[in-house]
This record gives sequence, structure tokens and C-alpha cells, in this order.
Amino acid sequence: MIHLEGITKSYNSRPALRGVNAKVERGEFLYLSGPSGAGKSTFLRLLYRAELPDSGHIVVNGSDLPKMRRRDVADFRRRLGVIFQDFKLLRRRTVAENVTFVLSLLNLPEKDQQRRAYLVLKQMGLQHRMSAFPDELSGGEQQRVAIARALVLQPDLILADEPTGNLDPERSHELLELFKTINYQGTTVVVATHDRGLIEAHPARTLFLDRGSVVKDGWGSVS
Amino acid sequence: MNRHSWREVKRQLRESGPAGLVAIVLVMVASAWGGVLWSVRQWVQAELLARGRQTTVVAVARGQTEAATLSEAFQGRFPTLASVSLTPRKVQEELASWFPELSTLLLTLDERSFPSIVQVEVAPDQEEAVASFLRSRPEVTLVESSRGWQARLEQAVSRFFFAGFVLALTLLIGCCAVVLLVVRLLVLNHADEIAIMRLIGAHERDIRRPYLVCGSLLGAAGGVLGAGLLLALELVLRPTLPTLAIENWVLGALPPAGGLTAAVGAALGLASLPREP
Repeated sequence: MIHLEGITKSYNSRPALRGVNAKVERGEFLYLSGPSGAGKSTFLRLLYRAELPDSGHIVVNGSDLPKMRRRDVADFRRRLGVIFQDFKLLRRRTVAENVTFVLSLLNLPEKDQQRRAYLVLKQMGLQHRMSAFPDELSGGEQQRVAIARALVLQPDLILADEPTGNLDPERSHELLELFKTINYQGTTVVVATHDRGLIEAHPARTLFLDRGSVVKDGWGSVS
Repeated sequence: MNRHSWREVKRQLRESGPAGLVAIVLVMVASAWGGVLWSVRQWVQAELLARGRQTTVVAVARGQTEAATLSEAFQGRFPTLASVSLTPRKVQEELASWFPELSTLLLTLDERSFPSIVQVEVAPDQEEAVASFLRSRPEVTLVESSRGWQARLEQAVSRFFFAGFVLALTLLIGCCAVVLLVVRLLVLNHADEIAIMRLIGAHERDIRRPYLVCGSLLGAAGGVLGAGLLLALELVLRPTLPTLAIENWVLGALPPAGGLTAAVGAALGLASLPREP
């Protein structure tokens, strides 16, 4: 599903990733862990092609990202579900519109969009907030809308960048349980987090990054 | 365009605010001016500068006796053409009827202040021969032809239309610039949202289309108002210039022309949108 080989990436000559190699199989659950500035977000941004590496190869879901044409990026991203720490919801659109927006990009019939949005929001327990705007929701609710948006297209791969960063511990554990459930259904999940407690509570394969390099690839939290 | 795109267009139209209104007004003025320019040009061509219309040649005689002699000589030389001899009194009355606001003054003047005139309506190809004949006559002090007046008018009109064209072009560039600024402002305001749309798989065309449609709608709205303004102008001028007509196709062309102009501005405004790596 994901194959990185010799990836380096710098910002203004400051290295963010140095020769990273990694392989993630289809249906796997992976944590990206490490202290702030270790390169977790850069790693993820490379996976959804928000950035291009300075050198190295990245293949995600069968697509060679550095060689990908610009016009193919949107279609590639539609097969991913990306969840951000700051939710990245469309502020001027309602909860339902945030979710149906991605469906509308596929030109699905209006009724089908509404039905699928309702089902996924119901799964997130947000069916009663469909006409609310993001600013009217709590942090946890906003995060669930972002997850609903990421799940509604039933993606092959979910990338979550510090998804629990703005949630209380109880909500964080619920979210991880949700990711595990999605993973059991066959979706590959990559979660970037610096929360060791969370990894210990929901152990899975963990890539530990430090100063742009993978320092350990193992199971559970790295001590 | 799906429902989301149309909602986005509506939001953008709302958000364009006073700048959007300025764009609409500018397109309205520009399109109405374009329509005026075209219609007046057509009217002038048809009514005043038509090549095939009869030419009037006027000869000013030294006196009434000379005018009568001139008429006789003219009939001898051009038996098929009819000439009209106007006495000073008739000239005075004609002038008073042309300029009613000056009629009181004109009619109080001594009729000897006015010349005797011999007036001939000729086909354009005969104008030169008639004018030459009249100029050669000793009874005549001045010969004027409407063709010469037409030529001077044509020159003045072409200068006026050149200036009008430059003004229209300036207005057109102004419309483009204002729509460009409106779209650029909207894009700047929505920069975060556009970045999110890209991250969740929106194509560039999905992102750009609502801005282009919004810009075009502003222009088309200006064009519709411009057509309305032109119609109102025609109604106001109808009693004075009954033959000045605004053609339907001109009215119909203004909204798409406004839309197209604004679309160009919107497309230029979208050039500021940063691209994917």
C-alpha cells in the first residue's frame, strides 16, 4: 500500500526527513510516533502529495507520487481519507455540506449524496447536527465530522495527523477504537501521534521518527 | 455545475459586496456606452452619411433679379433638374421655422439681411457638374453642397467614434480590472478553504469554476442593466430622433458581452491562485 525508499525532504536547507525507508502493507495499522519536529507531519504530507520529496521514491496505493501528473492528484486523493489535527472543515458550509462536498466531486446523484452523508454522520453520532456550521460544534464533534468526511468515500487508506490532539482522553480512546474498527474492515490506517499512552492502550506497529530518521520500527510504544 | 458549485457561486456573489456592485455598474456603463456608440454610428451612417441620398446644392445670389437670371440659366443648362428659388423673405421664414427659439429675433430683422438662394436637389453623381456650373456664374457669391457638409460631418463623426472606441476600450479594461480584483479578493479570503478542497480531492476545475461563474454573472448582470439603460435612453430620445433605433441584437448581445469581459477578468484574477506542487 505504501512504499518509501530513500526519502529526503528539507525546508530552507533544514532537513525534515533524511533517507527514510518504510513499507506498509494493505490492511495494516501503523502509528507514526516521535517528538515534535521529528518529521511525522512531513511524512504524512508526502503520502497525500501535499509535498514532493527532494529525493527518493514514494508509491502510495499503486501511484508513484513524484512522477504523478498534477491533474491526477485530485483523483489520487479521493481514494484517501485524510484527517487533520485542526480538522480542516469548510467553515462556510454545514456539517452535511462538508460531507457531501467530496461526494459531489464524483457527481453522484443528489439523493445518493444525502443518503451516504446521513449514514456516515449517523455512524459518528452526528445525524442531529447535519445543518450546523463547524463553528457551532465542539472540538470532538468537529473531529467526528472530519472523520465522517474522510470515511464517506470508503477510502483504501486513511491518514490521520495527530487526530487526537484536540480531544480529551476519553474521546481520543473512542477515536482510536473507531480507527481499529475501520482497520478490521480492511482499510489501511496510518496515524501520526506523539501520545505514547494512546499507543500503549491500542498497540500496533509503530514507526518511531526522530530528527527526520526512522529510529525504530516495532510493535507498540517505543521507550 | 452541481448544487455545491451553485451554492458557492451564490456565496461568492454575496461576499463580493460593494466591489461586486462597482463591477456591475462599470459593466453597465461600458455596455450601454458600447450600445450607444454602435447604434448612433448606424444611425449616422443611414441618416446623414448615406452615399446614395440626394445632395442639395445651394447657391447664394447677389440679389433677387440675379437669382431669377440664375434660375433661367440653370434650367437651360440642366432641363431635367428642378431648382427652387428662395426669396430673402422665404429664407427668413425658413430660418425662423428651423430655430423657433430665435424666431422672434429673426423675424424682426430686415429681410434684406437675408440672401436670395437657388436650391437644387441632385443625385450624388450630378453634384460636381451642378456645383461647377453654379460657381462659374457671375450672379453667384457662394456655392455650398451638402456633400461637402457630409464629408466634414463624416470626418467629425470618425473622430468622435475613435474617441468613443478608446473610451469603450478603457471601460472594458476597467471592467476586467475590477472583476479581477473582486475575484482575487475572494480567492484570498478563501485561501484556506481552497487548500482544504484540494486536500480532499477537488480538481482545479471544481475550485475555479464557481469563481469564473461568479465573475461572469457580475458581468452579465451589468450587461442586462446596460441593455435596460440603453432601452431607457432610446425611449427618452424617441420624440427627438424617431429614426434612432436600438437593434434587438445589440440589446441581446450586451449581457453575454458583459459576461465574457468579466469572465476574462475573473480568469486573470484566478491566476493568483497558488498551484499544487
